[in-house]
Amino acid sequence: MDLAFIAAVFPKLLAGLPLTLSLAVLSLSGGAILALLLSGLRASSWLGAQFANFYVYIFRGTPLLIQIFLIYYGLAQFPALRHSLLWPLLREPYVCAVLALMLNDAAYTSEILRGGLRAVSSGAIEAAKVAGMSRPTMLRRIVLPLAFRQALPAYGAEVTSMVKATSLASVVTLMEVTGLARAEVSQSYRAIEVFLCAAVIYLVLVTLITRLVHWLEDRLSTHRSPALDRSPA
Amino acid sequence: MNPTTVRLTNIHKSFGRQEVLRGIDLEARDGDVISIIGSSGSGKSTLLRCIPFLEIPDQGEVTVGDETIVLTGAGHRFSRAERQKIRRLRGQIGFVFQSFNLWPHMTALQNVMEVPLHVQGRPRAECREEAEAMLAKVGLADKRDAWPAHLSGGQQQRVAIARALASRPRALLFDEPTSALDPELVGEVLRVIRALAEEGRTMLIVTHEMAFAREVSSHAIYLHEGRIEEAGPPQQVFLDPVSERCRRFVRGQAGPVD
Ligand SMILES: Nc1ncnc2c1ncn2[C@@H]1O[C@H](COP(=O)(O)OP(=O)(O)OP(=O)(O)O)[C@@H](O)[C@H]1O
Ligand SMILES: [Mg+2]
Repeated sequence: MDLAFIAAVFPKLLAGLPLTLSLAVLSLSGGAILALLLSGLRASSWLGAQFANFYVYIFRGTPLLIQIFLIYYGLAQFPALRHSLLWPLLREPYVCAVLALMLNDAAYTSEILRGGLRAVSSGAIEAAKVAGMSRPTMLRRIVLPLAFRQALPAYGAEVTSMVKATSLASVVTLMEVTGLARAEVSQSYRAIEVFLCAAVIYLVLVTLITRLVHWLEDRLSTHRSPALDRSPA
Repeated sequence: MNPTTVRLTNIHKSFGRQEVLRGIDLEARDGDVISIIGSSGSGKSTLLRCIPFLEIPDQGEVTVGDETIVLTGAGHRFSRAERQKIRRLRGQIGFVFQSFNLWPHMTALQNVMEVPLHVQGRPRAECREEAEAMLAKVGLADKRDAWPAHLSGGQQQRVAIARALASRPRALLFDEPTSALDPELVGEVLRVIRALAEEGRTMLIVTHEMAFAREVSSHAIYLHEGRIEEAGPPQQVFLDPVSERCRRFVRGQAGPVD
């Protein structure tokens, strides 16, 4: 293997890291907000719950790559959109990619959140109720913190899978890490070295995130395992 | 006579077609300690849970302090004003559950501070000071930073009592506070409750601890199939009840005479 070549390729690929990260951060934040909204919808009414279930069914039941293509090529099919003020935005590959990743992440995250919410004990909720807590306070102080702790391991996995999924954005011309790697291969024809470099970049990212999530889990789950007790005896 | 703290008037409650409470009248005046006894399924928990609207009575009237709520029939839809009223009413009550129900993501101290701080909006320093005093009162000053999962059942229940006290309630409601405990842990919780009775707190206690109930309460109520079958001073209800059924019940519960 040509170490000099690899040393030269790395910085080139790293130039795509900011784009990769911004795709991940934007779609994860948007996805989280959408997931909360979906949970609210699910709790609001029968019709709301049906809609939320259908949404999750569609976005988890089809490949993300197809969703990206559908948004990138499909939106232009709607004259109403093409003539709207938003069109200059919706025409952007970056916006399309974020939109697809975000909508997809929302479906998975809302299911994870649902599992977390189900695990909140009715006793904890009754204790809050009987103390005269309002619903928003109860959500903020009791329900969501408990649901979040429960959902954290699954959510950590979702975050890493979204970071990897950003590589699909390269198919709509975005020059993030994978996009740059493909461009480099088409010039140098040294696919193995280049893609290995890209793989290492993703691996490091995923490892860092996994560490962070484990650290957070440790900090937040002292209440579960006596072994982790840090309080004075 | 002391002012009324809790009053229930003609409370009815059904689950489906089963009528669990069939017209309950009950009054607790300031400083009263009322024990509620009865066999399993007689409606004791339901009765207690109707006071802070954990169960919504179908019919009747609930008063706590200066808040009164009148129910007009099953499926009553509460207006916004009524919902706020229910929350104010709940704010005047401290409820202690059989299964403690501490918030598992908060330390003992945080559990006790939560309601004064985040519901009543009192100053943090004051909340902390009072929470520490409450923990000391139940004998757990040294456990302030412990997580509920690391406490014994008896300790968890004592934290729960401290939590109930911290919101400065007018009345404390206990639903079988020692039934989930190992026998050797029952005493420490009963001691705390007894001390509260001696302080003159207004309390309603559902319990199977007959000797304890006889000793601490100023009134006792025997519930049978959703009705108050016997009510009076503890000497009467526990030792010489009018109702034959109540007599058999207290005999059966008393166990070997000590
Ligand atoms: N949420 C509910 N839904 C349906 N039925 C209920 C519900 N809660 C209580 N019941 C029924 O109401 C009756 C009275 O229950 P309750 O819990 O008040 O009895 P209890 O006197 O507290 O009994 P125990 O000593 O076992 O705690 C029981 O038959 C019970 O099955
Ligand atoms: Mg009960």
